[in-house]
Amino acid sequence: MENRLKKMADAARSALRGASDLEELEETRIEYLGRSGILRELQQGIRDVAEELRPRVGKLINRTRQELEKIVEERRRELEEQQVYERAEENRIDVTLPGRSGYIAGRHPLMATLDDMLEIFLGLGYNIAEGPEVENYYYGFEALNYPPDHPAMDEQMTFYLGENTLLRSQTSTVQIRVMEQQKPPVRVVVPGRCFRRDTVDATHSHTFHQLEGLCVDEGITMADLKGTLIAFGRGMFGEDTRVRFRPDFFPFTEPSAEFAVSCFACRGEGENCRVCKNSGWIELGGAGMVDPNVLANVGYDTERYTGFAFGVGIERFTMNRHGIPDMRLLYSGDMRMLRQF
Amino acid sequence: MRVPYSWLLDYIDTDISAEDMAEVLTMGGLEVEEIDNWASADGEATDQVLITSVTSNRGDLLSMTGVARHAAALLDCDFTLPDCTMPRGGEPERAEHELTQGDSQITIEDLEGCPRYSALRLVGVEVRESPQWMAHRLEAAGARPIDNMVDVTNYVLWELGQPLHAFDHKLLVNGHIIVRRAESGEKLMTIDGVARELTENDLVIADEKGAIALAGVMGGTDTEIRERTTDVLIESAHFDPTMVRRTAQRLGMASEASYRFERFVDPNLTLRALGRVARIIEQIDAGSVVGPAMDVRSEDFVRDPIVLRPARTNHLLGLELTTGEQVEMLALLGLESEPEKTPAEPPEEELLHPYPDHRQALERLRVSVPTRRPDIEREVDLIEEIAIVYGYDTIPATLPRNTTGAGVRTRRQKLERRVSEIMRGAGLCENVTYSMMGACDLDFLDLAEDVDQRDALRLRSPAAENQELMRTTLLPGLLSAARYNVRQRVEEVALFEIGRIFVPLEVGLPEERQKLGAVCMGSARTSTWNLPDEYQEMDFYWLKGIMEQLCERLYIDDEVQFARSTHDSLHPGRAAQISVGRETVGDIGEISPAVQEAYDLPAPACVVELDLEILLSHARLLARYEPQPRLPAARRDLALVVDDDEKHTGQRLLNVTREAGGEFLERARIFDVYVDVERLGQGRKSVALSLSFRHPERTPTDEEVEEAMERITHRLRRKLDAEVRTW
Ligand SMILES: [Zn+2]
Repeated sequence: MENRLKKMADAARSALRGASDLEELEETRIEYLGRSGILRELQQGIRDVAEELRPRVGKLINRTRQELEKIVEERRRELEEQQVYERAEENRIDVTLPGRSGYIAGRHPLMATLDDMLEIFLGLGYNIAEGPEVENYYYGFEALNYPPDHPAMDEQMTFYLGENTLLRSQTSTVQIRVMEQQKPPVRVVVPGRCFRRDTVDATHSHTFHQLEGLCVDEGITMADLKGTLIAFGRGMFGEDTRVRFRPDFFPFTEPSAEFAVSCFACRGEGENCRVCKNSGWIELGGAGMVDPNVLANVGYDTERYTGFAFGVGIERFTMNRHGIPDMRLLYSGDMRMLRQF
Repeated sequence: MRVPYSWLLDYIDTDISAEDMAEVLTMGGLEVEEIDNWASADGEATDQVLITSVTSNRGDLLSMTGVARHAAALLDCDFTLPDCTMPRGGEPERAEHELTQGDSQITIEDLEGCPRYSALRLVGVEVRESPQWMAHRLEAAGARPIDNMVDVTNYVLWELGQPLHAFDHKLLVNGHIIVRRAESGEKLMTIDGVARELTENDLVIADEKGAIALAGVMGGTDTEIRERTTDVLIESAHFDPTMVRRTAQRLGMASEASYRFERFVDPNLTLRALGRVARIIEQIDAGSVVGPAMDVRSEDFVRDPIVLRPARTNHLLGLELTTGEQVEMLALLGLESEPEKTPAEPPEEELLHPYPDHRQALERLRVSVPTRRPDIEREVDLIEEIAIVYGYDTIPATLPRNTTGAGVRTRRQKLERRVSEIMRGAGLCENVTYSMMGACDLDFLDLAEDVDQRDALRLRSPAAENQELMRTTLLPGLLSAARYNVRQRVEEVALFEIGRIFVPLEVGLPEERQKLGAVCMGSARTSTWNLPDEYQEMDFYWLKGIMEQLCERLYIDDEVQFARSTHDSLHPGRAAQISVGRETVGDIGEISPAVQEAYDLPAPACVVELDLEILLSHARLLARYEPQPRLPAARRDLALVVDDDEKHTGQRLLNVTREAGGEFLERARIFDVYVDVERLGQGRKSVALSLSFRHPERTPTDEEVEEAMERITHRLRRKLDAEVRTW
C-alpha cells in the first residue's frame, strides 16, 4: 500500500509539473485529486490495510494530497503567467515606429536671442518699450543730436518715405519718445526692427534688429554703464566673460564707447576661431553716456540727471551663436531652417 | 589712413613695438584695423604700416603728427613737432580779404566757404624727382611720388594734415587768385583728366580768366606743376567742410584733400604748413622762398576757454580723480587749464554722487582748447577726453542704484508672447519677413483698385526690386516664403508672423498696426502616420481649428464667429471673416486660384490675417476657474438631412438648435457631415449633432430631456425644413 502510494505520488508529480497548459493541468488534477480520482481510490483502499498501520497510511495519504495540491497551485500560477505573456506577445506593437503628434515649432532664432537678452534686463529692473518704425526727421536724427548735415541722414544710408518721414535706422529713436513721456528714473530696453539702405547679401541686410537700452536717473555714471554691460555680457555668455570698452563716436552719447565681449566660441583665446576671426573679441554694439543735448531736447534737467544708453545688434550675434552662415536665411522663411529651432 | 610706423616715431619718444602701439591706439579711440608689412617698389625700404580707421569727429587724427600727439598722450611720453617756422624773410603779411604782394594777388570773395587763404611764393624751382627718403615715406603712406613740388605738398599733408596745392605761378592770369563760387555751367578740367561742369554751389579757386581748381577737392590741369615750372605758388587754405563735402559728393570725387576738409582742418595750420614746406624746400634745395607768406583771413580763429568742473567729471564717470590729475591728463592732449577765480556755487547734494568731495565741488577750470579740436565744444567733451586718457578699461564697474524695482512686461507684451507660443505649439513655424513689399504683390493678391491695402507708403529709393512699398498686409511676405519653400522642394509649409503693417494717414506718421498672419499648405504628415487623409491636410479647417484654440487660450469671453465672406485674395467659397464680439478681427481662407498661380504655388494655401491689437483687446491674461458640474449630463444624438446650401450652414443649425434647446441644453456640437447623392438625393447633406443636457442644480428628468429634444426637432423641421432622425 505504501509502495503504491509512493509510485502514484511520483507519477502525479511529474504529470502535474509537465502539464503544458491550464486545461491539461486541470485534467491531471481531476485524474489524481478529483472526487473519484486515484488518491480517493487509494484512500478507500485503507480498509484493506492492517489496523495498526491505518493511522500511518492515513497520515501519508493526507500529506501526499497536500503536497500535490501545492504543486497544482504552483503550476497553475506558472501557466497563468505564461498565458499572459503569450497573449501580450500576440498584441505587441512595434515600439520603434515614430510617435504620432502634432508638430511643435520653436522660436525664431532672432526672437530667441531677443528673449534671452530681455530676460537679463527685466531682471535688472528694465521695462520693455516700443516705438514706431516709421519716424520723422526730428525723432530719427535731430533730437538725437545729429548735426543737420550728417552723412547718416543721406539718402544713400537711410530710407526716406518723404521729406520728413523715414525708416528708423536705429532703435535710439525710441529713447526720445520714452523720455518725452516719462520723468526720470527711466530704465527701459527697446527691441525692434531698424532699416538701413544696405545691399542684401550674406552678411548685410537692409532690415535688422537692435536692442536699445536707456537708463537715466540722478547719479548714473559711466561706471554704471560698464557694470550693466558686464552683467549683460556675463548673463548672455557665462560668468567668465570679459567685456572690453573702447572710445567711439556717436552723436547722441558723450563719452561714447564701442563694447565687445570675449569670444564665447574660443573663450577669448582667438585661435583658429571663425566666430571672432581670431581676435578673441566679438563686437556687440555701441554705448555711452546720454549726451546732455539729448536730455535737454526732452526737457530734462541736465545738471540733475545723467544717463547711459547702449545698442546691441541682434542679427550677427544670432548667426554666431547658432552657426548660421547667411543673414538672408533669417528672413527667408525656410522651413528646413526654422524647424531646427 | 596708412601710418608708417618709422615715420610716426619721428615725433614721439617711445620704443614700444608697432603691435603694442596698435593696441594702445585702438584702446584709445583710434582703431588700428591691421598692420601692413610694407616694402617699397624698389625693394630698398620696409616698414610696418598701421592702418587706422578714424571716426568722423576726429579729423585731427588724419596726420602723422596728429596720431603722434594722441599716442604721446596715451603713453605719457614726449611729443615733438617738426620745424614749422617760416624762414627769415617769409614772416607772413596779413589782410582781411584781399592782399597784393609783388606780382601775386589773393582775393577771397566767399569768406564763408573760405575763411582763410594763405599762400607762399617759391622761385628758382627745379622740378625733379624727390629724394628717396621722401618718396619712400609717401609710398608707404599710399601716395604715389610724382615730382618734388607735388611730393612736398603731399608730404606736409600727411605730416601735419593740411592739404596744400602747388600752382605754376606763371600760368595764373595776372598772378591773381580769386576764391569764389563757380558760375553755373562753368567748366574745369581737373588733374585726373576729367572735364567738370560746375554749379553755383561749388567753391572754386579762379584766376582772372576762370576756374583753376575745385576748392579743397582737386586742382586743374591748366595751372598744374610741369617739368619746366620755375615759379610756384603754394596754397594753404581753410575751406568750409560742408561745401567741400557737397561738391565732392555731387561730382563723385574724393581726394586726400577733400577727405580731410570734410572732417575739418585746423584753420590755424595754414601758416605752419607753409613754414614746413619752406623748411623742406630748403632742406632738399629745390627752390627759394620770396617775400612774406600771404595770409588772407577775416577772423582770428581764437576759441573761448571751456569751463570744466572737476567734480562733474567724477560725477559723470564714476571716478575719484583729483583736480590736479585732471589738469595733467588734459595737458597731455595739449589742453591748458587754469583755475577760475570767481567762486562757484556748490552743487546740490545729489549731484555729488557717487563720490562727494565738497572741496572739489567748488573748483572750476578754464580749459583752452586748440582750434584743431572742433569736436571739443562743451564740458562733457572735456570729460570724454579725460576718460580716454584715463583709459575706458580702467574705469570701475558698478550697477546703478535700483530705484525702479523689477522690470515687467506690459499686458500687451505678455499676450503677444502667448500668441507666439500658441501658434508654435500648434505647429506653425515663427517667421520674420521684410517690412517692404512690391507693388506687384498687390497685383498678385488680386486686390481691387479701391481696397485699403492698395494705399501703401512708397520708399523714395528702395534697396531692392519689388520692395518699394511699406507692407499693408502680411500676406505677401508669407506667400513669398511659401513660394521660396516650394522652390526648395519643401511642399509642407506652415508659417506665421507677428509684424507691423503701415497705414498712411492724412497727416503725420502712418499708423503702425501689429498683425498676426499665417500661411499653411500641404500635409502635416511629417509627424503622423496611418491617419485618414483629412486629418493630415493643413487645410481651411486645420487653420480654423488653430484660430479657435488661439482664442480659447487667450481666454476670450466674447463670442468668436466665422462668417462666410468675400475677399479679393481668397477663394469665393472658402473664405470667412473672423469676428470677436462685435468687432471684425480679420480674414481666413483658401487663396484664390489666381493668387495661387501668381505666387506659383502647387496647392491652394490657406491663410489668415488678424489685427492683433483688436484680438488682444478681447483677451484676458488670467483664466477664471469654473467649478466642475456635480451632476451627470444626459446625452442625445440627432441626425439631420438638410439642403446643402447657404441657408443650412453648420453655424445656423447649431444656432437654431441652441435657441430651441431651453435651459437644459448645455452643449451642442457637430460631429459628422456627409454628402451622398444616392442615399440623400441631389443637393442634400447629412449633419449629425451631439447634444448634452445638464442643469447645475438638478438632473433633468427623461421627460424634460425628451421635451427639449421635441422642441429642437420641431424647430429644425419648421425653420430649416430638416429631416430629423434621433436615436
Ligand atoms: Zn573666437
